[in-house]
Amino acid sequence: MLQYVARRLLLLIPVVIGILLVTFLMKALIPTDAVTAIYSGTLSEKDAAEAIATLRAKYHLDLPWYQQFYIYVRDLMSGDFGESIRLRKPVMDELGYRYVNTIILTLAALAIALVVGLTTGILAAVKRNSWLDVTATTIGLFGISMPAFFFGLLLILVFAVWLRWLPVVPRGTMALLLPAVALGLIEAAPISQVARTSMIDVLGRDYIQAARARGASEFALVVRHALPNALIVVLTLVGLQIGNLLGGAFIIEAIFGWHGIGELAVNAIEWRDFTLTQAIILISAATYLVVNLVADILYAWLDPRVELNS
Amino acid sequence: MLNRRQFSIATALSAGVLAFSSTRQVLAQAPQVARFRLPIDPEGLFNVQSISAVVSGVLGNYLLEGLVYLDADGKAQPWLAQSWQASEDGKEISFKLKDGKTFHDGTPFNAEAVKFHFDTILDPKSASPAKGIVGPLSKVETPDGMTVVFTFAKPFAPFINLLGQSYFGFNSPTAVRLAGDAYPRKPVGTGPFMFDKWVPGASIELIRNPNFKQFRPDATNQGQPYLDRIVLNVLTEDGVVTSALMTEELDAASLTADGVVPFAADDRYNIINDQNAKNLMFMEFNYKKAPFGDLAFREAISHAIDREAVLAAAFGGNGKIALGPLSRGIPGYDDKVAEAYGTPYDPEKAKQLFDAAGWVMKDGIRTKDGMPAKFSIRSYASSTTERALAVIQANLADIGIVVDVGTADWGSFYPGLLKPDWDMALNRWTWSDPSVMSQLFRSPGHRQLLPANPAIDTALDSADTALDPQKRMAFVSDAQKAILEDRRILPLLTDWPITVNRKVLEGYHFDYLGYLYAGDLKIAAA
Repeated sequence: MLQYVARRLLLLIPVVIGILLVTFLMKALIPTDAVTAIYSGTLSEKDAAEAIATLRAKYHLDLPWYQQFYIYVRDLMSGDFGESIRLRKPVMDELGYRYVNTIILTLAALAIALVVGLTTGILAAVKRNSWLDVTATTIGLFGISMPAFFFGLLLILVFAVWLRWLPVVPRGTMALLLPAVALGLIEAAPISQVARTSMIDVLGRDYIQAARARGASEFALVVRHALPNALIVVLTLVGLQIGNLLGGAFIIEAIFGWHGIGELAVNAIEWRDFTLTQAIILISAATYLVVNLVADILYAWLDPRVELNS
Repeated sequence: MLNRRQFSIATALSAGVLAFSSTRQVLAQAPQVARFRLPIDPEGLFNVQSISAVVSGVLGNYLLEGLVYLDADGKAQPWLAQSWQASEDGKEISFKLKDGKTFHDGTPFNAEAVKFHFDTILDPKSASPAKGIVGPLSKVETPDGMTVVFTFAKPFAPFINLLGQSYFGFNSPTAVRLAGDAYPRKPVGTGPFMFDKWVPGASIELIRNPNFKQFRPDATNQGQPYLDRIVLNVLTEDGVVTSALMTEELDAASLTADGVVPFAADDRYNIINDQNAKNLMFMEFNYKKAPFGDLAFREAISHAIDREAVLAAAFGGNGKIALGPLSRGIPGYDDKVAEAYGTPYDPEKAKQLFDAAGWVMKDGIRTKDGMPAKFSIRSYASSTTERALAVIQANLADIGIVVDVGTADWGSFYPGLLKPDWDMALNRWTWSDPSVMSQLFRSPGHRQLLPANPAIDTALDSADTALDPQKRMAFVSDAQKAILEDRRILPLLTDWPITVNRKVLEGYHFDYLGYLYAGDLKIAAA
């Protein structure tokens, strides 16, 4: 097991280097940089030429891309993610709190997705083909088809503007609710469907029939005997969905003005602030890889038939 | 350690707890707090380092004060300065300062603070974007504690008016020295509000300056500011801003013509159209690329654009079309010159001029010497430029010119114009002084591609060195005429920026340069 984890973590290194290389190549293809962008249209083009040269040298923007790449990787090895040219501060100062914000949003959305998805999925399976099943499946279909940005705007209109129950400006804990619901409910739909199918499958197994024959109550059958086995399939899906949630968070953050790394990524690209962009890509990729690793390990732990050798 | 089953159940349970445990937010606000919007989280609030619109707005509205302000006619009036005097040759301007101003940190405002600010801008190490604005300023001296003398390499007429901009509002030198690199995150000025706290990415909060003295006679409130606190929320999305105004989480914000629609019929809100706006949207030509170096071609194309249609499409008609190269809101704008030398929309005339210049119609497209009239127009990405470009494209198609339109964000579009491979560009500029024409249109131009033109260059140079306001304005008129005669640009329109405020926020008004009279702001008792 430990050997497996170590191997997977080692595999992260070439993946991260690959990602860095691709972003550096993209940067080489884009004609402007953050320094030029800062001084664009400040009505001081001629006078600021000297200033631009000074700053470009400071941030090594005057070197060819492979030398910049070398310097970047060298600094990264010593834990230095560099300085944001636009924000004039270390990248990690800005990324730190924004990363936490994005993780809070993602976890809250995941929680909502799990609660709603599992509840509706299990109920639909237990009361199969009832009106409850049909309703849950229909709503789920809407959830899968609904784009996050549209659903987000709809929630703002109803709960913030019409009903005034929740704030629009992201201040305070309550402000988390709308974006988390927007993100979570959409991801709840696939969880619900998988939970339903998996539950129906498990409920039809022999050991459930045996338990029923021994006089176990329906509640105990579902919660104690069937659920743990049905959850294994759901867990695989959730591992994949965290990636979706992180991606979806970028859009939801924009709609709700949530101050996470998604909002920062959009700005960083617009500012041509590559140190910042790179760090965001790096952190997102690392998160994605680690989450997948954790999901795989949990999967093996929950299902003894799976072995982590390959 | 949990076993597998317990783990599964615990996961489901904790998910539930997470989802439903959120503490109740206290929605009630203290009575004297006003909440506004910041479209981005500023990189720092230090006018030596950043002169972006957002930074200048925060500093100029609340925190800093300058030597002069501009009155309702755009004329400089003493603010922190008592008076000023230019030397005979116009190369020296000396300012006497008013007594009794202190910075938020308790240190006195004096000549040293003024010198410190301009010295920092002039220091190449600061790489200050404000350096370009101070023109030929060479040194600043302080013969005594309350006198400052500016020396220029040559007379620089725009200087006094430019001093009204918040780029030249003063920071406490003591605070700058103490804080070092951290200063831009805790600015210290002399304004009606003081910096309180900054939640990175989310908000900046300011509090009332308890020792404030109002030195501007044009402010309604000559006493202490009414508001206790100002909260500036970072909201990047326009949609969030519209919603937040509706839910009364913001007290005022600028909106686009589209965004303002829901408030038009609601009597809880005021809508302010800035009809004194100082922006100009215009098309410019790349003289280095054929056929745009040819006056006859520029002349013909100048009659082809339906400005009213552009204004309607891009700004919902909220603004005024422009025939002259200077915005109506800038002192020196000459309506007679614009009428006499401008190029009103006249597609028939445009067609005749193209025919006369040898651009003949062939299969629906004009051609000259085997060259088809197929060009491109670039602009920066925004809903307004994209809509304007659609109209321009259709207008040009009507007279046999095929254009490709393309937009990119400002950081790519604007530096891209330095390379001589473009044909036409759609631009929009905002400035408060006629010297904007020298920055943009005097050879070699803001994009380094304009050929010398003695009539334009001489008029602009004379305008920038004439310290006598009347003489200066005569040169400004000459420059507008010369620019129009050369068809150097195709002026399109000035749009009127729109702000919406809740009526309970009283005293919400702006000065000539668009800065808030922050000391006048008050929340009406419910």
